Amino acid sequence: MNDKAIVSVLDVTKIYTLGQTEVRALRGVSLEIHRGEFLSIAGPSGSGKTTLLNLIGCVDIPSSGQVTVDGRDTRKLAERALTELRLHKIGFIFQTFNLVQVLTVYQNVEFPLLLQGGLHRREREARVGGLLEAVGLAAHARHRPSELSGGQRQRVAVARALVARPSLILADEPTANLDSETGANIIDLMKDMNQKDGTTFIFSTHDPKVMSHATAIVHIADGRLAGRQPGGPAAAGGR
Amino acid sequence: MRAWVRTNRILVQIAFRNLFVSKARTLIVGGIILVGAMLVVLGGSLLDSIDQGMRGSVQGSLAGQLQVYSARSKDELALYGSMTGEPQLEPIEDFAAVKHVLEQVPEVKAVVPMGIDQAMIATGNDFDVALEKIRADVRGRQAGDESPALVAQYEAHKAHLASMIRQLNEELAQARVIVDEALIKERAQEQADLDRASAPAFWKDFDQDPLASLEFLENRIAPQSLSNGFTFIRYVGTDLDAYARAFQRFHVVEGTPVPKGQRGILLGKLYAEDWLKLKAARRLDLIKEARDLRHRHIDKDEELRQWVKESQGQTRGILLQLDPLQAAEATRRLEQALPSKEPDLKQLLVELFTSDDSNFERHYDIFYRELAPLLQLYSVRIGDTITVKAASKSGYMSSVNLKVYGLVEWRGLERSTAAGMMSLMDLLSWRELYGYMTPEKAAEIAALKKNAGAQDVSRENAEAELFRDVPPPDQARTLPVKIEAPTFAGAAARKALAAAAGRVSSQDEIEEGVALNAAVILRDPTRVKESRLSVDRALKAAHLDLKVVDWQKAAGMLGQFVSLARIILFTAVFFIFSVALVIINNAMVMATLQRVLEIGTLRAIGAQKRFVLFMLLIETGVVGVAFGALGALLGAAAVGLIRLAGGIPAVNDQLYFFFAGPSLMPHLGATSLAIALVIVLLVSVASGLYPALIATRVTPLEAMQSDE
Repeated sequence: MNDKAIVSVLDVTKIYTLGQTEVRALRGVSLEIHRGEFLSIAGPSGSGKTTLLNLIGCVDIPSSGQVTVDGRDTRKLAERALTELRLHKIGFIFQTFNLVQVLTVYQNVEFPLLLQGGLHRREREARVGGLLEAVGLAAHARHRPSELSGGQRQRVAVARALVARPSLILADEPTANLDSETGANIIDLMKDMNQKDGTTFIFSTHDPKVMSHATAIVHIADGRLAGRQPGGPAAAGGR
Repeated sequence: MRAWVRTNRILVQIAFRNLFVSKARTLIVGGIILVGAMLVVLGGSLLDSIDQGMRGSVQGSLAGQLQVYSARSKDELALYGSMTGEPQLEPIEDFAAVKHVLEQVPEVKAVVPMGIDQAMIATGNDFDVALEKIRADVRGRQAGDESPALVAQYEAHKAHLASMIRQLNEELAQARVIVDEALIKERAQEQADLDRASAPAFWKDFDQDPLASLEFLENRIAPQSLSNGFTFIRYVGTDLDAYARAFQRFHVVEGTPVPKGQRGILLGKLYAEDWLKLKAARRLDLIKEARDLRHRHIDKDEELRQWVKESQGQTRGILLQLDPLQAAEATRRLEQALPSKEPDLKQLLVELFTSDDSNFERHYDIFYRELAPLLQLYSVRIGDTITVKAASKSGYMSSVNLKVYGLVEWRGLERSTAAGMMSLMDLLSWRELYGYMTPEKAAEIAALKKNAGAQDVSRENAEAELFRDVPPPDQARTLPVKIEAPTFAGAAARKALAAAAGRVSSQDEIEEGVALNAAVILRDPTRVKESRLSVDRALKAAHLDLKVVDWQKAAGMLGQFVSLARIILFTAVFFIFSVALVIINNAMVMATLQRVLEIGTLRAIGAQKRFVLFMLLIETGVVGVAFGALGALLGAAAVGLIRLAGGIPAVNDQLYFFFAGPSLMPHLGATSLAIALVIVLLVSVASGLYPALIATRVTPLEAMQSDE
């Protein structure tokens, strides 16, 4: 395994059992993702994009094969340890934003820090404040998610994913519920963070415009890796 | 640690805010818990107070704190009777010995001997009353008083008696219509006597020997009177002085206590009111009480109307009591007071008793102001001597004549049937009724034995003694029996009574004998349990085969009431909280299912299962504690309001006993409050546990929705 690889996926199969039938969501996928990448996973609906993201995000484990995140084999970790790994190493951005409705913008962003513990209130304030500034929502710190637009909410989600300074951020269709302009803004924001801090981003998308920002694009079809190509506008357009 | 506190702060914050988000659910769940907690506090406080009231009633009227009775008894002691009547108790043969042992126990303040039983007493006879009046007139005249007033009164009394006999004759004639021939023959003598007394000739000759005529009427006519009856009385035979000292609630309301060491009976005031008072007067009292205390109205109340109707139809009791002079006076007074032009007394009485809400108070006053002074309101009066009859232990009827010294009540229990129906009798009279040897009886038997020439025969030489000197059959043996000169039964009874009444028993005579049970009064009435053990140990050490029970057990069924009520309350509470459990559980499961995305997200971004578990438990816990505390507070406020309003009125005589007074003043019990909060907390946590467990099974995958 390459030292630079933050994620390594090796001959991974994932089989779901839906009633009587077995669904083979992934069939022998191998993939390496390096630190600092801004990687897009592309593929049609049902191709296995989300399954791959789940395995990388440690919310699920493979049926066979090996997924290594930050040097740790996810199949060898207990549930608690996987949760710890997610808390400290991985940030999530969801298609439906998934903010805690009863908490304010500030509290939503602060939440992972509270779960982690170890930071003083001032440090937390500084970090959360800085991020809210960065995503342009400093003025909305005391608002509830229901008072924000979709784009604003997703920006809160980006801040929340970044606040614990994870090695890796996973975003499953982050722009699917946004209009294209807002979606572009979010991608710009993510890209910005990627370039500033070197945080690795892995996101799935249908959208060629979104793909065009990626440093690399991984294509998935029918549970298999259909190819990997360097990113850029040309690559996205060709797909 | 600080991190833990921080995480918990956010936990509580999320939990609280979720409660406010789903207000309807929170209010429904909270409402149930609130009602439950309120019920526990209010019900618990009421029951505690009833418990206290009962404690006062039972301990203060009859039980003391502990009761001692023979361990060989077939039944358990039941001071207020049981379903099957009076319990069968083996006697305590030597009360003095028991008292001696118990008084050595440091916790014991006093020991009072008791024998509780039922008996019959004659409730008087209108004829006896009328005859007594004439006898007094005759005595006056024989003493030389020939004033016109006395003569007029004598004639009036005679006329009254004659009319009573005519009335009785008519009533019995009606009764005879429906009985058969054989019975009529059997009763021929009675009929002949009655005819003789109804005949004008009898009354013409009356004055020639008034006392003989009166004797005839007393022996032959009075017993036929339909008003001649017995009524039951429940009494406790006891050392009356010791009782009065030990039971502080007890006091004599009319008359005097029985003089120390003498025979006598004190009637329960409530018993006298209910059973010995003229029915029409009693009904007026009851109607007045219902109107004044219970705010009932004759116009709206079927029972009160019924009482009014009964009084209208039952004027005979009053008419029979009045001789012509009194009747004329009563007619005059009623015509003036009502006012009415009705010349017939019976009709006037009907008018008097015809009352509604508008005139009841006025008619009640007229009755007591104008009519009552002419009447004997109670069939037994203070100072009367009554005959008390009971089946003795051997099965024979025994009877004693006892002077009624007074009427008694127990403070706070004035209207309580269980306490106020009780009458008190001296212990020696109880022993006699119950069939035990009293000093007088022992002396009487000794005298009889002496007169009959009887000797004590021991078992060993019984045969020799009995068959020695058998006289030849043809030689009649003259029994060396002295026959006392026959005396009039009445005179003999009076003599015996005078002897018994005058005799003062010593304290030793009272104590050295039989009792059925004994009340033990403790120095510290709150230490019943511990003291019971001490008393039990002392009795065992003295080899006395006696059982010690606490007041509650001694009260029998009545004592179980509070326990029963507590069971009912807690069953109700249990049901409410079971329902609450199910509802809260369902509501929270629904809530959890609606929040799968949120919970999955929390799990995905790094919250452990434990976090989710606590988050939901805190949610139900907060609802439980907040609304439970509010409910407890409302319960406490309700208790306070009831106290402000003067307590819960005892609407009937049973409640009076349980409340130990005219109303129940509930006290807020710390125990009830604590129980309420503990139950509420347990229920809310228990009902939140299942949904919280479901929530922990939500995986972070749930957050990873996508269109795949």
